[in-house]
Amino acid sequence: MDMNEIKEIFFQECEEQLAELESGLLKLNDGDRDPETVNAVFRAVHSIKGGAGAFGLDDLVSFAHVFETTLDCVRSNRLEPNQDVLKVMLKSADVLADLTNAARDGGSVDGARSRQLIKELEALANGELPQPAAEAPAKSAPAPAKAAPAAIPAPAVNEEGFQPVAFSFEDFETSEPPTIEPSTFEILFRPKSELYGKGNDATLLLRDLSRLGEMSIHCDMDELPALGSMNPEAAYFAWKISLKTDKGEEAIRSVFEFAEWDCELEVTLAGGNHAGAGDELPMQPVPFDLSLLDEAMPALAGAAEDDEQVAARQREARDEAVSAASIASNVLQMAQTARASAENARSAAPASAAQAAAQQAAASAATPTIRVDLDRVDRLINLVGELVINQAMLSQSVIENDTNGTSSINMGLEELQQLTREIQDSVMAIRAQPVKPVFQRMSRIVREIADMTGKSVRLVTEGENTEVDKTVIDKLAEPLTHMIRNAVDHGLETPEKRVAAGKNPEGTVRLTAKHRSGRIVIELADDGAGINREKVRQKAIDNDLIAADANLSDEEIDNLIFHAGFSTADKISDISGRGVGMDVVKRSIQALGGRINIQSKPGQGSVFTMSLPLTLAVLDGMVVTVASQTLVVPLTAIVETLQPEASAIHSFGASQRLISIRNSFCPLVDVGRILNFRATQANPVEGVALLVESEGGGQRALMVDAIQGQRQVVIKSLEANYTHVPGIAAATILGDGRVALILDVDAIVAASRGQSLPEMSLAAAG
Amino acid sequence: MASRNIAKKSLKLAPVLDLNEATALHERLLTLKGAPIEIDASAVERIGTLCAQVLMAGARSWEEDRMSFTFAKVSDAFVKTTQLIGVDVAPLMAKEI
Repeated sequence: MDMNEIKEIFFQECEEQLAELESGLLKLNDGDRDPETVNAVFRAVHSIKGGAGAFGLDDLVSFAHVFETTLDCVRSNRLEPNQDVLKVMLKSADVLADLTNAARDGGSVDGARSRQLIKELEALANGELPQPAAEAPAKSAPAPAKAAPAAIPAPAVNEEGFQPVAFSFEDFETSEPPTIEPSTFEILFRPKSELYGKGNDATLLLRDLSRLGEMSIHCDMDELPALGSMNPEAAYFAWKISLKTDKGEEAIRSVFEFAEWDCELEVTLAGGNHAGAGDELPMQPVPFDLSLLDEAMPALAGAAEDDEQVAARQREARDEAVSAASIASNVLQMAQTARASAENARSAAPASAAQAAAQQAAASAATPTIRVDLDRVDRLINLVGELVINQAMLSQSVIENDTNGTSSINMGLEELQQLTREIQDSVMAIRAQPVKPVFQRMSRIVREIADMTGKSVRLVTEGENTEVDKTVIDKLAEPLTHMIRNAVDHGLETPEKRVAAGKNPEGTVRLTAKHRSGRIVIELADDGAGINREKVRQKAIDNDLIAADANLSDEEIDNLIFHAGFSTADKISDISGRGVGMDVVKRSIQALGGRINIQSKPGQGSVFTMSLPLTLAVLDGMVVTVASQTLVVPLTAIVETLQPEASAIHSFGASQRLISIRNSFCPLVDVGRILNFRATQANPVEGVALLVESEGGGQRALMVDAIQGQRQVVIKSLEANYTHVPGIAAATILGDGRVALILDVDAIVAASRGQSLPEMSLAAAG
Repeated sequence: MASRNIAKKSLKLAPVLDLNEATALHERLLTLKGAPIEIDASAVERIGTLCAQVLMAGARSWEEDRMSFTFAKVSDAFVKTTQLIGVDVAPLMAKEI
C-alpha cells in the first residue's frame, strides 16, 4: 500500500467521521444529552486530528485540536451544550469539513472564518459565553433572536473535578503572538495495561516526548509487585516528567495522541520558568542524544555521535521512516476508533430520542462493510446487464422454437429469468447508498443561508437511510442545494413577519426521502409564506411567458417558477439570484429521469416533490414502433397513452396538428417525422399518441405507430459506444438482440417547436 | 552473606527486548531465582517498558532474597533507554564497570 492509498483511506475515514460529527451535533442540538453522543462527537474530531497529524496536515490538526478542546469541556460537563454553543460547534464542523476537503483536493479555506471560529471555540473552552461583544468583533451575522438560555455553569478553575485542558492556560494570553516561549510542563503519565496490549510502548512515547525539549523524569515504581506475583504484560510503571519546551502543550499531547485512551495523562504548566527538577522527587535528566534508540536504523548509532549536522540529517531521515511506518498504524487505529464508535452508537439506546431515530441509528451502524473500487462494481453491473440481455435473447429464441409452454426448458428458463432479475437487483443494491451524506450537506447549506439572511431555520430530515444509486446521489446534491437555498431565501419569511403571522419565529424546512413504487421520492417542504401567485403571475406576464389575460389554474401558476430565467426576488440576492433558476433544477432532475412538482398553500408553505429512478443503469421504458423501427420511451416521461380519434385531430397552420384532450389542445408530434424515419407525416388515427410532459411543463402528444409493451431495459451509452445522436438519449439491446434507441423526449419536443435537433441539450441517460 | 555459598548464575539478554519478550524474560528470571545473578545486557539494542519492569521486579525480588542482582555489561542503548524511562540502573551495575 503506498502513501497515497493510505492517505485516501484517511480521507474516506474523515468523511465518515465528519458525518458522525455532524449527526452527533445535530442530536445534541435536538436536546439529546446522552454522554455517548458527546463521546462520539469528540472521538470523531479526535480521530480526524490524529490522522491529520500523521500526514502533517497542520491546518487541520490545529483547528481540530481547538475544536476537540472545547468538546472536551462539553464531555466533562464544564460546558453546557446549549443552542448558542452548538451553533458555534456546527459552524466549526463545517470549517473542519472545508479544511479536510482543502487538504484532500488542495482547495482554499476561508482563513478569516476559521480563525474567528478558533477564537470562539477558545472562548467557549474558557467558559465565556458565545458572542460576547469583546470576543466576536468581526461578526457580521445578526445576533441570535432569542436570548442565550441559562448561562453556562462554568466552574471556577480550582474547583474539584477540574481537569487541565489543552490551551486553557495559553488562552489567557491570547494576545500574544503564536511563537511560544519555552516553558516547563509537568506531565503525569500513567499507562494502563491496554496501552501495551495494543502494541504501544511507553518507551517510544517517552522518547518522542524527550525530543520536544529538555526533559527530566522520575519513574514511579511503587506499583511494581514482586517478580513472582507480577503479570509481565501489565502496566506498573508511571512517570512524572518535567519538560522544558518551546513547542507548547499541544505538541506534548500530540505525542500521546493514540495512547490517550489507554493511559492517565496530565499536562500542567509548572509555576515559574525554571527548569523544574521536581522538588520532592528525584528527577533523572534524560540524555539529549537518544538517536540510537530509534529502532528504525539502529546500525547508525555510533557514527552520528560527533558530527552534529550528520546526526541531524540522519535523525530527520529516521523520523520520516518512523512516521511513515506509524502512519499506517495510526490509520489503522483510526479505523478501530471509528468502528468502536459505531459499535458504541449501536449499543447506546438513547432514551430521549424517538424510537424511529434509534432504529435508524442502529440500522446505519450495524453491519460490517468493505470498500470496493467503484470501477469493479460498474464492471459487474455491466456484466449483469449483458446477462439480462442474453437471458432475454435466450428466452425469445426458445419461445420462437418451442410452442409447448410446459416443456422443461421453458420452466428452467423461467427460473433463470427470476434468478437473473434477483442478481440484477442485488447488484444494483451494491451501488445503492443512503441519501444521508447529501442530506447532511444540506443542513450546512441551511445554516449558512440562515446566517446570511438573518432567518432562523430548523432543518428536519427524514428517511436519510433511504437508498438510491450512487450516480443519482452524486447528481442530486446540486439541484437539492439550489432548492434548499430557495426555500430559505424565498420560501421562509423573516422572524418578524413570521411572528406577525402568528407563526413560530423559527422556520422549518423538512427534507424527506422515501421509496415509492420503485422510485425514490424526495420532498422538500417549508412552512413559509407559500408562493405569491399574484407576483408570479405578474412576473410571467412581464416576461412574456403568458398572456395578460391567460386563465391559469393555481397549479399552473406555481409551475411557472420552473420557466427559464424566472426569479421573483425583487433584488438579486447573494444566495439564490445567481442566474440559475428553478428551470435548471427541473432540468437536472429530468436529466436524472426524474420529475418535480410543486404544491403551495398561501401562508402555509410550499412542498417540492421530486421523484427519481433508483438507478441510472436500467430504465423502465415503453417499447414502441415508429416507421418499423423499435424505440424505447422512458416511462417517467409518459403521462398517458391514447388512441386518437379523427374528430379529436385539428390542423393548425401549415403542418402543425393539435389533438384535443379533455377540452384542451395539445400539439401532436410525429416522432417518425422528427427523426427523419419517414418523409411525410403519418396519419394520427392509425397510431397511438403518448402524452408526455417535457421541460418547462408543457405537454405534447408523441405519435408512434404502435406500442409493443413495457419493460425494463439496460441503458447503453451511445456516446461511449458510437456517437451522440440528436433526439436519442441512449440505446439498449432487446431480447431479440436488436439495438433499440431510447428516445430523448425533451429533445424531440424541443425539435417539434421548430428548434433544430442537433446540439440540443440532451438529457443523456447512462 | 547468604549468597556467598551459592554459585552465581548469569543471564545474557537478547538484543531486542520488546513487548513480546516480556513474558519469556519473566519466566526465564523466575527459573533463576534463588541464586545471585549477573546480567549481561551488552547485546541489547532495544528494550521496552515491559521488559524493564520485569528486570526491576527481578532486582527487587533478589534484594528481598538478599541475593545480588547485577548488570555485568551493558550496551549504550540499554543505558540510554533506562535513563530515558527514569530507571536508574547505576546501583545495580557490577562494581568492576
